[in-house]
Amino acid sequence: MTTPVAAEGAGRALRLCLWCVVAVVAEVGLYASYRGHDARFHWFTHFFVGASFALVVMAVVALRRRRAVPVPLVWPFIAHVVAMFPDFLFAAGIAHQRWMDVFLGHISTHFVPGRNLTWFVVFLLALGFYLAVLGRVSPVQEDPDQRFTGSVTGGRS
Amino acid sequence: MRGLRLDRRLAVIWLLAAVGLGLLLVAARLARDPLDDRDPAWQRPGFLDAGELPVPAPQVAPGVPADGRPTVVIFERADRLAQLCRALKGAALPGRPATAVVVVDATTGRCDAAGTVVGDPERALARSYGLRPTRGGGPPVGYAVVDGGGAIRYRTLDPAVADQLAEVGTMVAALP
Repeated sequence: MTTPVAAEGAGRALRLCLWCVVAVVAEVGLYASYRGHDARFHWFTHFFVGASFALVVMAVVALRRRRAVPVPLVWPFIAHVVAMFPDFLFAAGIAHQRWMDVFLGHISTHFVPGRNLTWFVVFLLALGFYLAVLGRVSPVQEDPDQRFTGSVTGGRS
Repeated sequence: MRGLRLDRRLAVIWLLAAVGLGLLLVAARLARDPLDDRDPAWQRPGFLDAGELPVPAPQVAPGVPADGRPTVVIFERADRLAQLCRALKGAALPGRPATAVVVVDATTGRCDAAGTVVGDPERALARSYGLRPTRGGGPPVGYAVVDGGGAIRYRTLDPAVADQLAEVGTMVAALP
């Protein structure tokens, strides 16, 4: 027999799984939006930059609210879309311009020393920071609409 | 104990992300084309005047680059020229640019869809246009966009240039 606590845990895990699948499918969609085989480089840069930015913002918001942020997988995705927005314009026939750095450094982030390896390290640091913050704040389970974030973002309760 | 377990779970999430994305990065690096730029940041950057550009464009042939209107100088290998010519036939580049195809590893080539075809077996033109070395070595495949004033405003390696002529058009259209 399954206990109510175990059933709730399984339900949370299932919801989390579903969100992970949605996030992966969405990211695959962003990757597919690039033409050309060298798209991987651009996808990685803007993913790492966007996700790192989102993770730092999420950590700061969580620290201020003393509670984990809701829908944690959506924040990095939205930031990724912002970071790569000029690439949507490019696909529509509008070339890049330097002012497009306002989209999370869309132009100049490609040219940092170390290239994507540097951004990978930045991403891992940002993720580590976010997860460390999560270990010190309450999960969002109090909000019934956002319970699914509890298992991923679950800090000490 | 529970707090310790939760911290472990967070550490596992971090580790999974590090290993998963790290493996994807390695896979992406291994899957690169020999015709790609050694530094992917300089391949198809998508904006004019990158790096030391603009610089004066060397002459490819008499009247090329054209005076007063844009010119696209495409560097291609002889064994891929037919595919490029087929693509050029159906292409509608904006601003009616003059198109010069430089066959970099033969003395000459034939392409009715291009205005001019010249051979560059010693790669002197490719060097003078500042095309970067390919990852696998050998003649570069890519293009340069020259403005009406005779300055190179954009240059890139592009192994799939024949399939992406619309992108060439985007860069031509970006010229002031």
